[in-house]
Amino acid sequence: MSRMRASISLAIVSLVLVVALGTPAISQTPKSGGTLNVTQREDLPQGFAIHETQTSSTVWPSMPCFNNLVIYDPAKKVESLDTIVGELAEKWSWQENYRNLVFFLRKGVKWHDGQPFTSKDVKYTFDMIREAPDAPAKLRINPRKDWYANVDKIETPDANTVVFHLKRPQPSILMMLASGYSPIYAAHVPPANYRTSCVGTGPFKLKEWRKGEFVEYVKNPDYFVKGRPYLDGLKYVIIVERGTRTAALQSGAVDIPFPGETSKTQSEQLKKAVPQLVVTPVSENVNNNIIMNIKKPPFDNLKVRLAVSHAIDRRALIQAVYQGGGVVGAAMAPKPHAFWGLGEKELEALPGYGKAADEKAKAKKLMAEAGYGPDKPLKVEMVTRAIPVYVDMASFVINELKQIGIESTLKQIETAQWHAMAVRGEYQIGANLTGLGADDPDGNFYENYACGSPRNYTHYCNEQVQKMFDQQSQEVDQKKRLQQVYAIQKKLEDDAARPILSWRIDYFTLWPHVKGLIAQNNVYNFGRMQEVWRDK
Amino acid sequence: MKSYVAQRLGIAVLTLVGMSIVIFALLRLAPGDIVDILFSTAGYVNESEKQAILKELGMDRPYWIQYLDWIRQILTGDLGKSYRYDIPAWDVIRPLVPVTIELAVLSIIVAVVLGVPTGVISAVRQDSTLDYVLRVLSLAGLSMPSFWLGMVIILGMVSWLGWIPPLTYVKPTDNFKAHAIQFMLPALAVGYRSSALIMRITRSSLLEVMREDYIRTAWAKGQAGRVVIWRHALKNAILPVVTVIGIEFAFLIGGLVVTETVFNLPGVARFLVQAILWRDYPIVQNLVMFIAIVVILSNLFVDMLYGVLDPRVRYG
Repeated sequence: MSRMRASISLAIVSLVLVVALGTPAISQTPKSGGTLNVTQREDLPQGFAIHETQTSSTVWPSMPCFNNLVIYDPAKKVESLDTIVGELAEKWSWQENYRNLVFFLRKGVKWHDGQPFTSKDVKYTFDMIREAPDAPAKLRINPRKDWYANVDKIETPDANTVVFHLKRPQPSILMMLASGYSPIYAAHVPPANYRTSCVGTGPFKLKEWRKGEFVEYVKNPDYFVKGRPYLDGLKYVIIVERGTRTAALQSGAVDIPFPGETSKTQSEQLKKAVPQLVVTPVSENVNNNIIMNIKKPPFDNLKVRLAVSHAIDRRALIQAVYQGGGVVGAAMAPKPHAFWGLGEKELEALPGYGKAADEKAKAKKLMAEAGYGPDKPLKVEMVTRAIPVYVDMASFVINELKQIGIESTLKQIETAQWHAMAVRGEYQIGANLTGLGADDPDGNFYENYACGSPRNYTHYCNEQVQKMFDQQSQEVDQKKRLQQVYAIQKKLEDDAARPILSWRIDYFTLWPHVKGLIAQNNVYNFGRMQEVWRDK
Repeated sequence: MKSYVAQRLGIAVLTLVGMSIVIFALLRLAPGDIVDILFSTAGYVNESEKQAILKELGMDRPYWIQYLDWIRQILTGDLGKSYRYDIPAWDVIRPLVPVTIELAVLSIIVAVVLGVPTGVISAVRQDSTLDYVLRVLSLAGLSMPSFWLGMVIILGMVSWLGWIPPLTYVKPTDNFKAHAIQFMLPALAVGYRSSALIMRITRSSLLEVMREDYIRTAWAKGQAGRVVIWRHALKNAILPVVTVIGIEFAFLIGGLVVTETVFNLPGVARFLVQAILWRDYPIVQNLVMFIAIVVILSNLFVDMLYGVLDPRVRYG
């Protein structure tokens, strides 16, 4: 009797498991064919020249044309060293204690114009980016030279092998190589040509770029991954007006939104109008931060900088400005949205993350110690980029600072002037947004906090911290590295180097028939579309 | 007549020269240039690299040389190269022109078809309920920005029909129905606003004419109301209406920015704004000159039309 009961129970459990697990697996069998319409928020700023820009407006619609050596697994939501898979590199191997990185390339890969892909293309690409003395070509604008500053030389022993010789161990160089910002260019195509056309090895070939209207791709029939891509084509429809973009998604005229664009409120409205839409909250790997010019008074004074950091209620900012569509975090995006960020507990011990009233009291005390008070308010000019998302944040910050006796006037800077102004340090304090090409400490620390980096807008330079950057970069043990990265983040907040206010969350909203597109915690990295298919 | 046209064309050339100087100077006075924008998309600035790009684009030369070079290009039919797209400016501009012209013409047709008859009815039925209703509708049209109306149309379509007009340009030869829908909706949004203006001008002008002695005589002679209004009154009241139509058409060529943006139509106006934001001088300068030429020609056309509509008008 008990055996019979056990058999029935087993049968029921098996049936439940089959229904729960089996059915989706059957319905998830990819189908080939069809075209997807994808939203593009503006025309491509520099065509397909990913290496000459630092914006998702270029990388998102250009990624289907290219391949990297390695890429983040498109099936995984959070990127890390463990989720990196081969693309043009079939496999790779570290040698000499993480000083040499050897890539074994796929054979038989062809460029879209029919030329064979070889190791020379890899060397050409990265010698050009790192501006090697014997580089055969030069990029007009080179925003990611610093990513490969640790590369000493690149060798190509044969057509299918590439060796990156590093100056010192740097396991996380793979993180940069896996970013959407690291495609391989064809050595036989001048880099300038990528501003108007695209010759890649990627799953899709460029059919037409009608300026200001659309970018259209067709399936690459010679793609080296058999059976991929599933789609026959892609059409990136350029829709400049935000309201029209939302309406287009709601109507189904486009299937996929532009990543990093859908706010919590918008996604809720869309979901209410079209309940079948699928919403995925995902980190954009973009943070809101305060830049203070450390080279100029009054922000050369650590007490004043710390007062600013203490004064801003991060959680209130997220509620008021982003309607809850953000999370608090320090220099690295927090878990579970990313890998390296500090947890809630660690954050609470840092300036500005405690209870709002206590933090304001600490800020006032610091201001008093710095010589400012109700009778002697600090008057500053707050700069920000003349874009609503910046201005909203700046307005909130100004109000917070007013409560501790800092009177700020807002100055909006045109986009054309913004970076030049920040790089030259022609400001006192500013409200800024920073996007990271990879969720990796090297990419972030060296770019935004290292001495002499052009994107270190605050001119923060601390030799001790610089050594910590190098130490974590060389660390082979990921657990140890994580602890070192935690310590750096705490130090950066304690120094008010660039107080982080929040990490933005995108409510990526898709039509349910779009399958195989997993929004990752980085808007720059998941646009390849190789695994995407249409269930319709 | 010929000497009048020649004289007007001479003035037009001078106007265009003046316009070219103004637009050239204004663009250079605006803060930043294409190179700043390019670096902005890269998130950093490097002065030596910036100088190299300025040289590559020929922007390091004195302004007067750049200006003369542009004029030379126009005269030789070469509009230069787009800084942003790195292709001939004409290749960028050419597909935009028919879109804007078509939208402007359709909008004016909608405006005239709606505005003139309602203006006449409103004048003939002065102070009646119908007159009040039409005046309220026209006031609403004047108060309602066309881009707002456009967005309401789009949101209404999406909410009620789950449908949106085509988001990329559909050639009439490819799909005439889709093409017609793509243009008619924005034309209605823009035409409604313009029709309100035309309606009010038609009404006031017609009311004035209808108080003239010759109209009273026509009524006294027992002529049919339709003949009095359409043949005698409207013909004499139409001159200010034609002027307004001409001005509206010229305005629409450059003023469709928001409508083209909302309906995602790849026209001149929308592209001009993007080109200004990118400081793409060759595109902006040539598009502004195109708009100036259309304005001048439409004004000239209206002046010519005066002579046809009113035989008393003499050109000398």
